[in-house]
Amino acid sequence: MGKLSHTDIVHLLVQLSVMLLMGRLLAEAARKFKQPAVIGEIIAGILLGPTILGMINPEWFNTLYPIPSDTATVLTGFVQVAVIMLLFIAGLEVDLHIVWQQGRQAVTTSLFGLIIPFALGFVFPYYFPEFFGIAEGQQRLIFALFMGTAMAITALPVIVRILMDLNIFKSRMGMLVVASAMVDDVLGWIVFSVILGMIGKQGESFSIINTILLTVGFVVFMLTIGRGLLNRVLPWVNKKMAWPGGVLSLSLALCFLGAAFTEYIGIHAIFGAFIVGVALGDSEHFSERAKEIVHQFINNIFAPLFFVSIGLRVNFITNFDPLLTLVIVIIAFAGKIIGSGMGTKLGGFSWRESFAAGFGMNARGAMEIILGLIALENGLINEKVFVSLVIMALITSMSSGPLMKWMLKK
Amino acid sequence: MNFSFSKIGVAIAFSPTAEAMIIEAVRLTSLYQASLILIHVGDHGQKEEDLMNALLEKTGQKSSSIKICWERGNPAVSILKVCQQENIDLLIAGALKKEDLLHYYIGTIARKIMRKANCSFLMITNPSTAPVPYKNIVVNAEDSPYVIEAITTACQLGMKDRANWVHIVRELKMYGLTMAASDQRTEKEYDDVRQQLVKDEIDKVEELLRKIPHNQLKVNIKMISGKAGFELSKFAQRKNADLLIVGAPRRRFSIFDRIFPHDLEYIFGDMPCNLLVIHPAQEAERKEVSNG
Repeated sequence: MGKLSHTDIVHLLVQLSVMLLMGRLLAEAARKFKQPAVIGEIIAGILLGPTILGMINPEWFNTLYPIPSDTATVLTGFVQVAVIMLLFIAGLEVDLHIVWQQGRQAVTTSLFGLIIPFALGFVFPYYFPEFFGIAEGQQRLIFALFMGTAMAITALPVIVRILMDLNIFKSRMGMLVVASAMVDDVLGWIVFSVILGMIGKQGESFSIINTILLTVGFVVFMLTIGRGLLNRVLPWVNKKMAWPGGVLSLSLALCFLGAAFTEYIGIHAIFGAFIVGVALGDSEHFSERAKEIVHQFINNIFAPLFFVSIGLRVNFITNFDPLLTLVIVIIAFAGKIIGSGMGTKLGGFSWRESFAAGFGMNARGAMEIILGLIALENGLINEKVFVSLVIMALITSMSSGPLMKWMLKK
Repeated sequence: MNFSFSKIGVAIAFSPTAEAMIIEAVRLTSLYQASLILIHVGDHGQKEEDLMNALLEKTGQKSSSIKICWERGNPAVSILKVCQQENIDLLIAGALKKEDLLHYYIGTIARKIMRKANCSFLMITNPSTAPVPYKNIVVNAEDSPYVIEAITTACQLGMKDRANWVHIVRELKMYGLTMAASDQRTEKEYDDVRQQLVKDEIDKVEELLRKIPHNQLKVNIKMISGKAGFELSKFAQRKNADLLIVGAPRRRFSIFDRIFPHDLEYIFGDMPCNLLVIHPAQEAERKEVSNG
């Protein structure tokens, strides 16, 4: 095992504490305005990163977050683990019971909410690649597929919070919207994993058929045999091992194992963590209390590290392209509101309720940012598109609650 | 709320539990002052007639006062066909508490009835020749278009049988709270939201109860969280319930629901006690037809 120097350890600990403190302070500020914590955490990163601190005092910024350095490598490792854990809890949040409960209706509603935004997100970048910073022929198809996926994904926690605030979470409409968002997320991440598989690692690329087979095979295995095994192991763990230590160690170990496996076979690590989360969360033996502990632990420690780190990597001013951002925001709003609105209408709701559901499903939140960052790391998008996606994620998350309330009050 | 059973059918095979099944059915028939129809699927000759007469004699019933439907073919399909033809509003059948893995997926007669019935049905796991009144009734107050009918039946049976307890169980979606409130609220706000959620759900059950007569009945309203169906089954086991009443699901369950079990499928897979599923659709359909 390599060793960090005494100075590096001090440096790393200061970096982590500054990120956590700033993240918390600004998350609290966001909370005051009834906004999700992620908004405050992104702003904390922007303040600490090249955008603000780096511009005001580059020396301070380079002292605090020097690149390249040993601490930067370790910090990147922390952030990598954080994003894997975030996808793990995103998987835990997918309650397949709600999806099965809603049955075919959830699938119809979610398919509309997936296909229409995906189509809009695909068509524009495919036919106008230069506008999105992609030269003709250069991964145009993959880029367009990614943009389609980015438009199709939803922020389940944001939707749930809005539905709970409006006291309609347990209503028929609430459950349908939640189930559809879950189906969208699962399908969205499967498509994204296929796209990442198509790019391949270190120049090696898989054929699309192989990637699809591997991805779908892993999902089917985890949700059938894997889930069955979990249902046999978990009661034993709950009964024989210390609580919650046993179940927490097992769940995180499985999360990392799943992530390692998918990374090894050429799909991104996050996908393994996500599907293990779905399988584990679906087990009736994984208690709500255990879920709550995992949720609190990851959401309050690892999530801030990840979201603050985004602002440390990218300059949000030099990479801000107002026109590109506006186009992405318009495509995002149009796709989800029309798609999810139509899907909900098919569920037998009024147009008013359907559009309200569309506004709710429009929230992209943290998932969009994770998706964008992985695409950026894999060279799929440039920093300008990434900044536009982050801004779109923030705008859609902030506006979905008020818009949904307004529509339902009309 | 006025909901009752007027025609009760019982599926009979010439098995060791046949006598007990008829006695259980007769008890319920007299509780509801309903008429009784026996359904037998299989060969029908003099031998079977004699066996049936002997069975009825043993249970103290007159064969002339009970209608017997003799059917051939697929047992589950034939039984359900008779239910429809005879406008039976409660079907009684025997069921194993739990099937082995193969039978669970293939589906036995009882499980096929549970998944396909268009009327209310009572699955008796351990029929007795000396049936005792239901003392501990658990009723699900969740996720069914027939939730009021289910609670009404629980209260009616509870009053008729002088039950010790009727537990009305409702699901609390802690899942949503965990996701929505964990990083957005202070500890006090989180507790307040949690308590408010519990209060709201209890209020909803009390509102339902106000419409249903339950005089002198001890009613316990219980909130559970976790996987619906699975937790309900666990609760019924914890309370040593002798009858679990649920409303029929919104849609029929298929093989897919057995691979990814949810809600009532957990209960169908492993019954914690006798199971009464309320499905008054046939009655509603009949009313529609008779009203033109």
